[in-house]
Amino acid sequence: MADLSWNSDEYFAEDNLRKNFFGSLALHIVIAALIGGLAYFHHRGHNWGENAANAGAIQATMVSSLPLPPKQRELDTGVLTSENPSPAPLIAPEKTEPPPDPHEVALPEKAKPPKVAEKPAPAPPKHPQPTPPQPMKAATGETAGIRIPQSTLELKNGTASAMVQDRTFGSRFAYYVNIVNRTVAQNWYTQEADPRASVGKSVIVIFDIDRSGAPSNPRLETGSGSASLDQSALRAVQRVEGFGPLPAGDHITVEYTFHYTQP
Amino acid sequence: MTYRRARSLSHLLLRPAGLLFTAFALLSLSSNLYAQDWFKTETSRGVSNIRIAVADFKATASDPQTTPLKQTFDSTLFNDLSNAGIFDIVSKSLLPQTSPGAPGEMNLAQWSAAPTSAAMIAFGAFGSSGGRITVNGFLFDAKNAQFPQVLSKQYSEEANDENARQIAHRFADEIIFRLGGGVPGIAETKIYYVKFSGGNKEIWAMDYDGASQHQVTHLGTVSLSPRISPDNSRIAFSSLGREGFQIRMYSLLLNRMVNFPAAGGTNLSPAWSPNGRDLAFSSSRSGDPEIYIADSNGGSIRRATSFRGPDVSPVFNPKTGSQIAWISGRTGLPQLYIMDADGSAVTRLTDGGYATSVSWSPNGQFLAFAWDRKYGPGAPGGQDIYVMEVATKRWIQLTHEIGRCDFPSWSPDGRHIVFANSSNGRASSTRIVSMLADGTGRRNLTEPGADMPNWSWK
Repeated sequence: MADLSWNSDEYFAEDNLRKNFFGSLALHIVIAALIGGLAYFHHRGHNWGENAANAGAIQATMVSSLPLPPKQRELDTGVLTSENPSPAPLIAPEKTEPPPDPHEVALPEKAKPPKVAEKPAPAPPKHPQPTPPQPMKAATGETAGIRIPQSTLELKNGTASAMVQDRTFGSRFAYYVNIVNRTVAQNWYTQEADPRASVGKSVIVIFDIDRSGAPSNPRLETGSGSASLDQSALRAVQRVEGFGPLPAGDHITVEYTFHYTQP
Repeated sequence: MTYRRARSLSHLLLRPAGLLFTAFALLSLSSNLYAQDWFKTETSRGVSNIRIAVADFKATASDPQTTPLKQTFDSTLFNDLSNAGIFDIVSKSLLPQTSPGAPGEMNLAQWSAAPTSAAMIAFGAFGSSGGRITVNGFLFDAKNAQFPQVLSKQYSEEANDENARQIAHRFADEIIFRLGGGVPGIAETKIYYVKFSGGNKEIWAMDYDGASQHQVTHLGTVSLSPRISPDNSRIAFSSLGREGFQIRMYSLLLNRMVNFPAAGGTNLSPAWSPNGRDLAFSSSRSGDPEIYIADSNGGSIRRATSFRGPDVSPVFNPKTGSQIAWISGRTGLPQLYIMDADGSAVTRLTDGGYATSVSWSPNGQFLAFAWDRKYGPGAPGGQDIYVMEVATKRWIQLTHEIGRCDFPSWSPDGRHIVFANSSNGRASSTRIVSMLADGTGRRNLTEPGADMPNWSWK
């Protein structure tokens, strides 16, 4: 027969409660001790800032540059460089269609012409120009010469040449063309252009110079196909505050070509 | 999508009408290019310095005074152009042995050939007769045989050594302005500094190359941190008087002290705003040194900082005049901070060490300051000049192990920094040194005993 004797609730509750309470307390203490012991003995390595060698302000190259010209590079392993080194031909990869968005409803397609593979971009069409008088000396890797009407600077990544269409300004004031050339080149940060997309490309930027030498209205004449290279070229002109007063005339327009040959 | 656009464009161009249109557009565009005034240039990267040859000027008069004056002139011109930081100067031993005095006597082929290989030539004639110096100076472009002349200047002054130097400075400044992209040269600027002798410290002035050092104040007490006003009319400095350190004002136009109201506490390190109307300084009149801004006569004083902890050495942003950089000890060791001129937008720039004496570059982009990054007991110490870019907080160290460096000050062209250096760490052997802003080209400007240089604004 079942034990139907009546035992008070408190009897059960109290006894069990006390036992259970202490048991639970003991379990909690054991778990806490386990966690604490784990944390204490498990070495996690350096806290932030403890590695004194690397701590501190970042030491790195500046975004802007001090207004001094960078140090002159050592001579090129001196070759008779050509005026315009031919850019490396770039084969664009095959373009594939992205997968259709699941929410898109397929539109009835018109008859599409067969897909043509991307051809390498041809060089921008050169405007017909008068042949400049041939210089007496060949250009070597050593001199930074100005030849009328063309001014060439030998640089690490390629060549910089300033060509003067208007004979009178360029021949009289070749030193000014040179200054414009070097000032913009100094402010061109080639690391702003994505090297994967820009190698071998060139972009032409046109800007005006007013009487006091301040450049204005820089605009792209021919894009290079690399948006980052185009932007870096525009920014190079925008960075320049002035070239010095114009030696003659009250404004002049400059067409400046940026060749990106090497990151 | 590129694909679609190419299709429609090639579609358009391949039509006969399209071909005609393209040809017409090309032709009209190219003919347009001929009509206007313009030139075309290109680059691939980088630059090179302009190679300039400075010839000895030709002596045109037989006055016995000419020779020593011409020597001063020649050496000053040579030093100015080689210190400019933008030229590759041809050394004297490589020059041809001629002294052309006029454009007709100049043989460009001789100067542009090796070993000279000059791109620019500075030459001319120098003569002294009847108590006056007459100088004709020319700057020729050696590569441009058709039109070589870039500059042609004539100077005439009273005959003495100081004027020979000043004419050389003016001619060098003209050359630097023309060839340096429109930034004026610093050859005519001055440096104001503190010279200590006996127990006193007085304010002295000298040319930017250390010549012509002369005393400015004769107060017979300790005067510190001279700051010349932007229009070169007044020097503000801090001087120990009866009521402690006060901001004092010396007028260079009147050659005497002018009035500036005194106040309680210790008042130090005045700094001019670029429009010359405001003066910021550090004052402890309220008990704790804070930055105050007053106008140039000392009126309308307003407080700019309000945090506990010493705030000293303010300097305005010389490009905009709307920001102040200063040193604050609110977190313990003195650190570099910038804020707007009304006291808002406080930003901390250094993250440790002991930073002092900040100077803001004229183009507003850089701060030069003295910093001891490894400061503390047992640390190697060593205070050097650092330049930090304000926009990115990245810094470079300019001086390495030349002793204790302090009080950097930028030149007005932003290419040079002058500072105080003590090679053995003792205060008594501090001298003033100038260098290019990238840390090269260090030159001693004074003997030991000079400190706290300040480069004038123009």
